[in-house]
Amino acid sequence: MGKGSTEGASSTARVIDLDRVHTRELPNGLRLRVLPDPGTPTVSYYTFFHVGSRNERLGLTGISHLFEHMMFNGAAKYGPKEFDRVLESRGGHSNAYTSNDVTAYYEDFAAEALETVVDLESDRMRSLRLNDESLEQEREVVKEERRLRTENSVFGLMEEQLEALIFLSHPYRWPVIGWMEDIQRISRTDCEAFFATYYAPSNAAVYCVGDVEAEATLDLISRAYGDIPRGPAPAKVAGGEPGQRGPRCASIRYPAQAPAILAGWRGPAAQSPDAAVLDVLQVCLGVGEASRLRRRLVLQEELAVSVTLSWGWRIDPGVFFVFAELVPGAGRARAEALLSEEILGVIRHGVTAREVDRARALLRSTVLHELGTHHGVAHALGQAEALLGDWREAGRVLEHYARVTPADVRRVAAEFLDPARRCLVDLVPEGERPGERVRRRR
Amino acid sequence: MSAPIRLPPLRRERLDNGLEVVVATRPGVPLVAARIVLRGGASLDPPERFGLSHLVALAARRGTVRRSGEEIDLLVESLGADLGTGVDEDASYLGLSAPLEALARCLEVLAEVAISPTFPAAEVARLRRREVASLAHDLDEPAVVADRAMLEAAYGSHPYGHPPEGRARHLLRLRRAEVLGFHGQHYRPEAAILLVVGPVSADEVLAAVRRRFGRWERGGAARLELRAPEAPHPAVVVVDKPDLTQTQIRIVSAGFPRRSPDYYPGMVASAVLGGGFTSRLMEAIRVNRGLSYGVRSRFATSLVGGLFYVSSFTKQETTAELVEVALGEMARFADGGPSPEELSRMQNYLCGLFPLSLETHDQVAERLADLAFYGLDETEVTGFRERVRAVDREDCRRIAQRYFPGPRPLVVVVGPARHIAGPLERFGPVRVLPARKVT
Repeated sequence: MGKGSTEGASSTARVIDLDRVHTRELPNGLRLRVLPDPGTPTVSYYTFFHVGSRNERLGLTGISHLFEHMMFNGAAKYGPKEFDRVLESRGGHSNAYTSNDVTAYYEDFAAEALETVVDLESDRMRSLRLNDESLEQEREVVKEERRLRTENSVFGLMEEQLEALIFLSHPYRWPVIGWMEDIQRISRTDCEAFFATYYAPSNAAVYCVGDVEAEATLDLISRAYGDIPRGPAPAKVAGGEPGQRGPRCASIRYPAQAPAILAGWRGPAAQSPDAAVLDVLQVCLGVGEASRLRRRLVLQEELAVSVTLSWGWRIDPGVFFVFAELVPGAGRARAEALLSEEILGVIRHGVTAREVDRARALLRSTVLHELGTHHGVAHALGQAEALLGDWREAGRVLEHYARVTPADVRRVAAEFLDPARRCLVDLVPEGERPGERVRRRR
Repeated sequence: MSAPIRLPPLRRERLDNGLEVVVATRPGVPLVAARIVLRGGASLDPPERFGLSHLVALAARRGTVRRSGEEIDLLVESLGADLGTGVDEDASYLGLSAPLEALARCLEVLAEVAISPTFPAAEVARLRRREVASLAHDLDEPAVVADRAMLEAAYGSHPYGHPPEGRARHLLRLRRAEVLGFHGQHYRPEAAILLVVGPVSADEVLAAVRRRFGRWERGGAARLELRAPEAPHPAVVVVDKPDLTQTQIRIVSAGFPRRSPDYYPGMVASAVLGGGFTSRLMEAIRVNRGLSYGVRSRFATSLVGGLFYVSSFTKQETTAELVEVALGEMARFADGGPSPEELSRMQNYLCGLFPLSLETHDQVAERLADLAFYGLDETEVTGFRERVRAVDREDCRRIAQRYFPGPRPLVVVVGPARHIAGPLERFGPVRVLPARKVT
């Protein structure tokens, strides 16, 4: 006791028993991964389609997400409204999400319902039925979702603006939910073409974790999906994001009670070894009360009521951001200056070994929490395969953290959090005196 | 057939000072969930001092006789642990999630925070300023404003009628002596339950608990008995946020306390009406009309009372339509109850998913805390499926008739009053509040 908990074998041990994952690839390209774990009498069943907003184009932004809604509106065997009705009546629950890179569907259910779930999921992959009526309804639902998460949300407005600042050409430039006019524009024909390409088994993978028998489950899934034809290869996503040669800023005026700032930088791709280093840097800077930014901005200077950091791994280089909700009346310029000072401190002087140990210990607990449920394990396997090209990476993440040194953290901060490549979104509460921002800026 | 629902092996002990200890040993990830539940939360806040219990919980970890707040942060986080504190209307909580190997150190810190916080004046003052500033940010979250306004409108002057985070003008008046007084009176072992759940040795945990918590001194203050709240008065309250393009809606009526025999029938009836993706409200509001992204109903149960409410949101133009559709669905439900198919579907749904609520150490700790806090026995968990399956259609109809809002409801809406107040008048006289009144 009394020494860092990150030393010793237990901290780097594999968190998923990779040898117990059974895999198969069907002739139509569908990849199956099954991990039996009888701990709880439930199963989590994830289907990852390798499509997200990065596969979209201007004019049809938001189609991946709108399409996700359409997947619940009926197929050849299970008609409209039946998907959830059948699943819930068998003791299961389903939902889905769309990100920049993937669209993932899941069912969590009592183990007896496995055959029903396989039947439901394979039915909609084989024979989804799209009709104009349900498209119109889902369009309205998605518009409400956009009003909820973006247009009536301070953070939602700022985040949308930040991504549009960081990316000039990459599709990460637009929000996953899409622009309102595009949501209005998407047609049934667009959806049909989208389904034919991106929802083919060759663009998907299934992850099943829980109280199941591995080989029997692989056989069951193979029989259910085996006849679905392979699809065309999706078009390659054009990269080509130009370099950033100076800081970029934007302001949002909104009738908010208090100011906020959101600073972001373009990081590396998920496949880069630096992605794990940025996880460590993120914790050093802003996770936990003892992190540098929380200490400085919230505890010591009392400029912010909260500081939140996010570093999201994406297929192409993604976003590292710092969001600070400021005290009413606090100067945004001062908060920005302190934020820069703290980041420059890491770039110039690095972080201590103790800080890296603390970050590793917190990251290990986070990973263990995530992998404490069937749902979490199934998702981690799918996420690793989609972003890193190999589901085994889900079990190796602690090994990556174990190798991170203070020198790595400093190098990565210098490379990716360069003040000259910062993008900043200011929330200016409406009613604040005009000119205030200019006056406070140096 | 589903496997029977079991709780992990439990060891219970009551220390000499009255502290109730429950240790559950179960396999799983090498983390441990530990929590202290103290009887008494926001409903103990004195008049004009709303937010006191919340501030006490936050400030308790900002310094003890042995360590400063920053030292606690650094120690806990360096061990990979997370220490959180807070209150709800009935209880105060100190919660810990720690790697198994760090449990002994973390229990030591947990005991210090519970037993011997020093409430440094500078930290209390700082937290008070931060909480006031946080309330300003809350005003920018329409759903938070709606929930706060709902509590006030539904419970009125009852101690459940203010949100645990308190009010800005009350927080500004709070003095450190009041913080010390609240802690001295209510953070007492005879009013506390300590739970530890994970792949632990119960003997070792109990030995550590006796060592760390044995010195906690009894208080002896009489426990305050809270009266039951009155049913909410019918009203239409509009909290004015002129710039919103989407309104937040709550339709509210009286519920019941956690120990009520209506708990299980209420859970099933509410699930049919507004739980899951196939509920009647979801079908009527989202699937058939595209009025909202989400709608749900629930019974929120507390120690001496509870609420039933429907929550949703929609673009401002369809606010009254959504309320009307929801009230219509509730009236239809009260008339005929669920169909046999709906009832059995929801029973299967609730029973099938129940094991998912017992999957992690934290979930088990929370469940055990509830049992101990409300004085319920283990069959609440192990007999969950039987209780849900015992509910019949007539039970559901009775629940709906007794609890669901009738034709004169309490409706709370956050949005632009100039656009929505007029159409809402069909549900009763509309009272408009400026949003700042809600903090």
